[in-house]
Amino acid sequence: MSRGLWTTTVGSFPKPPQLERARQQHARGELGADALFQMERDETVKLIRRQEEIGLDILVDGELYRGDMTTYFAERMPGFAISNPVRSYGNRYYRKPIAVGPIRRTKSLTVEWWKFAQSQTKQPIKGMLTGPYTMMDWSFNEHYPSREAMAMDLAAAINEEALALQEAGAKYIQIDEPAVSVRPDELPLAVKALGRAAQGLKAKTITHICYGDFDVIYPALLDLPVDQIDLEMANSRYDLLERFKAQPFTKEIGYGVLDVHSHRVETKDEVKQGILRGLEVLKPEQMYVDPDCGLKTRTMDEAFAKLEVMVAAVREVRAERGIGA
Amino acid sequence: MKIQTTLAGSYPKLPTEPGDVNVRVVRNRRDQGKATDQDVAAAVRETTRRIIGIQERAGVDLVQDGCAGWDDAQTYVARGLEGVKIAGLIRYLDTNTYYRQPEIVGDVRWKAPVTADDFRAAKGMTSRPVKALLPGPYSLLRFSKDLHYRDPVKAGRAVGEALAKEARALEEAGATWLHFEEPWLGKATSADAPAIRAALAPILADRTAKTLLQVPFGTPTAIFDSIADLPWSAIGLDLVESPAAWDLLPRVPKGRGVALGLVDARNTRLEDAADVARSIARAAAARPDLEYLLSPNASLEYLPADKAEAKVVLLVEAARLAARNGG
Repeated sequence: MSRGLWTTTVGSFPKPPQLERARQQHARGELGADALFQMERDETVKLIRRQEEIGLDILVDGELYRGDMTTYFAERMPGFAISNPVRSYGNRYYRKPIAVGPIRRTKSLTVEWWKFAQSQTKQPIKGMLTGPYTMMDWSFNEHYPSREAMAMDLAAAINEEALALQEAGAKYIQIDEPAVSVRPDELPLAVKALGRAAQGLKAKTITHICYGDFDVIYPALLDLPVDQIDLEMANSRYDLLERFKAQPFTKEIGYGVLDVHSHRVETKDEVKQGILRGLEVLKPEQMYVDPDCGLKTRTMDEAFAKLEVMVAAVREVRAERGIGA
Repeated sequence: MKIQTTLAGSYPKLPTEPGDVNVRVVRNRRDQGKATDQDVAAAVRETTRRIIGIQERAGVDLVQDGCAGWDDAQTYVARGLEGVKIAGLIRYLDTNTYYRQPEIVGDVRWKAPVTADDFRAAKGMTSRPVKALLPGPYSLLRFSKDLHYRDPVKAGRAVGEALAKEARALEEAGATWLHFEEPWLGKATSADAPAIRAALAPILADRTAKTLLQVPFGTPTAIFDSIADLPWSAIGLDLVESPAAWDLLPRVPKGRGVALGLVDARNTRLEDAADVARSIARAAAARPDLEYLLSPNASLEYLPADKAEAKVVLLVEAARLAARNGG
C-alpha cells in the first residue's frame, strides 16, 4: 500500500472574536499582558483540540498570538522599528517593520509557543516562521545598503530560530516566502536567503509561496532549497498541473485545495476532484493536502467547515485508491 | 529650469494630527452600524480636503485628490463598468498590498461617470490645477480575469473605449490633466504590444486634457517604441526601482513630457533633496527639449502618513533646488 495525502494547514487560523476584543483592549491599555497571554494560550489549546477532532495529520499552533506575519517577528528583533499604520487594503491597516540598524535574533521568537502547542497533542506541530526574503520585501529599509544585505542578515537570524525549533523537537519547519512570486527577477536572491535560513536543518523543511507569475518562475521555483513547496492550487483552478505535466514537480508539494479568499465552503466532491486531478500528475507520497493559504481571513465557522470537507475528501480518495496515512 | 511637481496616485488616508477626521474610524463605525454612508462620504470629503491642503502647503504645482474613497487602484472605477464584476482579494504587484480582482464577464461598457463628481469636489477645494486619476486600460485588463473576450486585443480595446468615456466625463468636469495608472506597461514584453496599443489608443484619441501614462514598478522599455507614436502628453518613469528607465529618455519623442519618479514611494528613508536635484539636472542635460514633472515613483499611499508628508515636502524642495541650480 502506498502512503501519502497527509492533511495539514498553512499556518494561521481566524482569531476568536473574544480574543480579537482582548487584543484591542490590550492595545488601549485596558487589559494586562498576562491576561491576554493566558487567553491566547487557552484559545490555542482549544484550536489544537479542534484540529484533532477534524482529523488533521499535521497540526499548527494557529498563530493566534501573532498579528501581521512580518511585524510579529520584527517586534522581537533588534534592528527593527515599527511604523505608524500603513494600509494593506480597504480599511485594513498594519504597522510595518522598518530596518533601522543591524537585524539580529537575541532571543527566542516562537520556540516557547511551539513547545507549549506540542505539549498539548501527540500529533506533530509545525514550526512556523516568516522567511528572510519576505521579511525584507515587506519591511521598509532605512539601514541596509541593498536588499540582499538585509535579506541575508535576516536569513542568519531566522536560521538561529529554525535550529532552536529543531533542537526543541520540531519535525516540520515551515519558512514562509509568500513574496517570492511577486518579483521573479529576485528569485535567485530568495533561493540564496532561504538556503541560509534552512542551513543545518534535518527536520522536514517547507515553504509556502502565494500564487504569482508561474510562467516566469517555474521550474526555477524548484531551486528553493526546501523539501516541500506549498502552493495555491484551488485558487488557480489547478492550472499549474498543466505546467507540471510538461515540467515535473520534483519536490513534495503542499497541495492547496481550499480557496481561502472565498466565504463559500467547497463541496467534498470538488475537493476530491481536485485531489484526483493532482494524482494524475503527482505521486501520493509527494502530496500534503491543505488550504491554499492561511485561514485567518475566514470566520471560524468557515475555516472549520472547509477543513472538515477537506479531510472527508482525502479519506475517500485514500480509501478508493488504497493509500495509507 | 521650471519643473512641475505632482504626486503619482493615491495618498495615505489617516491623519497625523489628533482630532482630525479619521476615515478609517468612521468606516469602522459604519460597519458596526454606528455611522451612516453619509458620514463616510463626509469623512472622505474632509480627508480629500486635508490631502489637498498638504500638497498646497508644500507647494505642489499639480495636485491630486488622493483617492480617499478608493479601496484600491482598480475597483473604484471597474465596479462602475458594465460587464465587470469584482471578485476576491489578491496580492498586488508590490509589497504586501492587495486589491479585489475585477472579472470581465460580458461586453465591457461605460455606463455613467464614476469619478467626475469626486473631481469636481476636489477642484472646488483648491485654486491649483488638479490632476485626475484613472486606472490605465491595459493594466486594468491585466489586473482583471478575462472570462469573456479571451482575446487581449479585443478586451484591451473594449476596456480602453469604456475608460475613454470616463476620461471625457472628467474633461467635461474641467480636468486639464489625466493620469492613467499603468504599472503593467513596465512588465510587458514586445508580444503584448498589440493589446497595449488597442487599449491605449481610445483613451488618448481626441483629448483636450493632457495625458500622463504613469508606469510604477518597472520600465516600459520592451514596448516603448510600440507606443511612442500614440498621442500621450507625458510618460511617468519609475527611476527608483528601475534605473534602466533612464535609458528611455533619448527615445522620448520631441514635444512630450516625462514625469521623473525620483522619490521612493515604497520606503520610509527620506531622500536627500540635493541628490534628487542632481538627478533632475541629469535628465535636463540629456534631453533639454523635454518638459519635466517631478513625482514619487508610485503612489505614496502605502507609506505611513507622517513619512508621506515628509516626502511631499522633499519633492518641492528638490524641484526648487533644481530650479535654483539652473538644472
